[in-house]
Amino acid sequence: MRQRSLVILTSVLTTGALTLTACGSRDSGSKSDSGSTTLTIGVDAPLSGENSTTGLGIQYGVQIAVDDANKNNWVPGVKFKVKALDDKAQPATGQSNATAFTGDSSVVGAVGPLNSGVALSMQKVFASANMVEISPSNTDPSLTQGKNWATTKTRPYKTYFRTATTDALQGGFAADYAFNGLKKKKAYVVDDKQTYGAGLAGIFNSGFKKLGGTIAGTDHVNTGDTDFSSLVTKIKNSGADLVYYGGQYDESEKITKQLKAAGVKIPLFGGDGMYATTYIQTAGKAAEGDLATSVGVPVDTLPAAKAFVSTYKAKGYKGDYGAYGGYSYDAASAIIKAVKAVKDANDGKLPDSNDLRSKVVDAVQKSDFEGITGKVTFDQYGDTGNKQLTVYQVTNGAWKAVKTGTFTG
Amino acid sequence: MSGIGPVESVDSPEIDGSCDVIGGDSPRLTDHWHTLPQRTRRAVLTAGTVTAVAVGAVLLPPFHDGRQDEPTPPVPWPANITEWRYTGLAQTTDTPTTTGFFRFAVTVESGPPVAIRVIGAAFDGLTAQAVPDPSFTVRTGATRRVTVEISVSDCSGLPLNADLAFLDVTLRNTRAIQHHSFIFGSAYSNDLSQLLHRACGTTKARPGPRPSGSAGSQNVDRN
Repeated sequence: MRQRSLVILTSVLTTGALTLTACGSRDSGSKSDSGSTTLTIGVDAPLSGENSTTGLGIQYGVQIAVDDANKNNWVPGVKFKVKALDDKAQPATGQSNATAFTGDSSVVGAVGPLNSGVALSMQKVFASANMVEISPSNTDPSLTQGKNWATTKTRPYKTYFRTATTDALQGGFAADYAFNGLKKKKAYVVDDKQTYGAGLAGIFNSGFKKLGGTIAGTDHVNTGDTDFSSLVTKIKNSGADLVYYGGQYDESEKITKQLKAAGVKIPLFGGDGMYATTYIQTAGKAAEGDLATSVGVPVDTLPAAKAFVSTYKAKGYKGDYGAYGGYSYDAASAIIKAVKAVKDANDGKLPDSNDLRSKVVDAVQKSDFEGITGKVTFDQYGDTGNKQLTVYQVTNGAWKAVKTGTFTG
Repeated sequence: MSGIGPVESVDSPEIDGSCDVIGGDSPRLTDHWHTLPQRTRRAVLTAGTVTAVAVGAVLLPPFHDGRQDEPTPPVPWPANITEWRYTGLAQTTDTPTTTGFFRFAVTVESGPPVAIRVIGAAFDGLTAQAVPDPSFTVRTGATRRVTVEISVSDCSGLPLNADLAFLDVTLRNTRAIQHHSFIFGSAYSNDLSQLLHRACGTTKARPGPRPSGSAGSQNVDRN
């Protein structure tokens, strides 16, 4: 008898819950049999070919955030799933992916891309659809502060945010460490002609000169190049005591190897695009003593990131979480928490798809929570409020933090 | 027939009572127990129960509404919880032209207190220390106002215009000792640049970029 009553009570409650949930979710996402709505978080990153080690770190960083949200019911009545598209580090492919995301009514926002040059081609597409885009890794200042960021900051798109800090800080931080920390006075500056690489190299160049250093020479390489013998000769003849490289690990790991093989025993210093385990694995002993700045502080100093790292390892995910995994987790979390804020402010119901996207943009702007990389907030330009930087050096075959800094201006 | 029965039957000839006696052949406690009168056995059981409850009440942790105690969060690294904010130049009189006093607000957000020492201001030609106490401690939730004395000791390696100016500190709590740089915005850079101009402007210090501010403005030397 008691069992029968329970069955009836459960049926009534379930029916009621399903009815309420169905009323609350109109056109946003897709509804499952259990009545919950499923929203999609897009991920755009290079998932194959060049840069894919860090690109996969972004994809799985988002996946872990989505799994946590679903498991812990961050947004009651709403489940999330990941839709990851490979941009192959190509701006045109990134733009196509952005169009695919905005055309899918279940996508509420996107995390990515990895490359600043790809981001430039995607921003407008997301802005047209009023959909939020949060990059965990773009560092080109112009993406948030406009082309004239050095003199007059103007935000180009209100839908674009990032959880990584900018090259304006990273390049200056590297220049200071090279000049004051390493006591290097003569740098040879090389870039890969890409938006990120050329921008970062330019900022290092001017910062190093301002500090009193001299630039022994500058040169450019192409992404995909493998033979850097002429560059090595130029560097050798310049008498430089440091090489600064603006670009990704795919080229710099070969440059340092060929440089050291030619007997040029000077460190190669790069930005966050070089901060990857692959760099050390490929360059081998030639990488010893090389340096890279990266956004944020070392993940192992962040207690909240501990569970993330162990989950990443336990799941056996490919790629490298070290540079951007935590920032990808926080980027996805910002979108998920924004969905919750919108739902809560709308009497517990999700607005229709277009309205939801627009309101999520506004809610992301107001983000203020403890992420796994620290406090997650965004300023008036969409830049992260967490402006920490670290200089890493290859020591005994591993990246070791040698200096940390926080921008508080 | 999917049930799992005993591997050996209870009356198996191999279960002869000898296998669980280890270290002696004297009668076991259970053998004595069965020889006691029923009244005595009841009294012993009651006394044992009361004793067990009393001991349990003393030794077991208090009950929290069925929830388990959450694990204590690890002590955060000091650089992740310490904030510095530049608040402006200190009002001073009779300050040497080679010295400036800069004021900061230092806050520790969580965790144990953080002991702090200012160790430098980015350039070898500058010395920096907190005054009057070179080392100080900031407790969680508290904001401490700090004055840092920066002196120019050698103009030869200094740029006149300090862009992205740093303050180098050591931060120490029960978790770690960290060397950390705090990078301040334009207000601090401008004030530090004024000191550099005052101290090195007439010497052979390297000039910075061409001034873009109006004459006499605070931003006179800043792009």
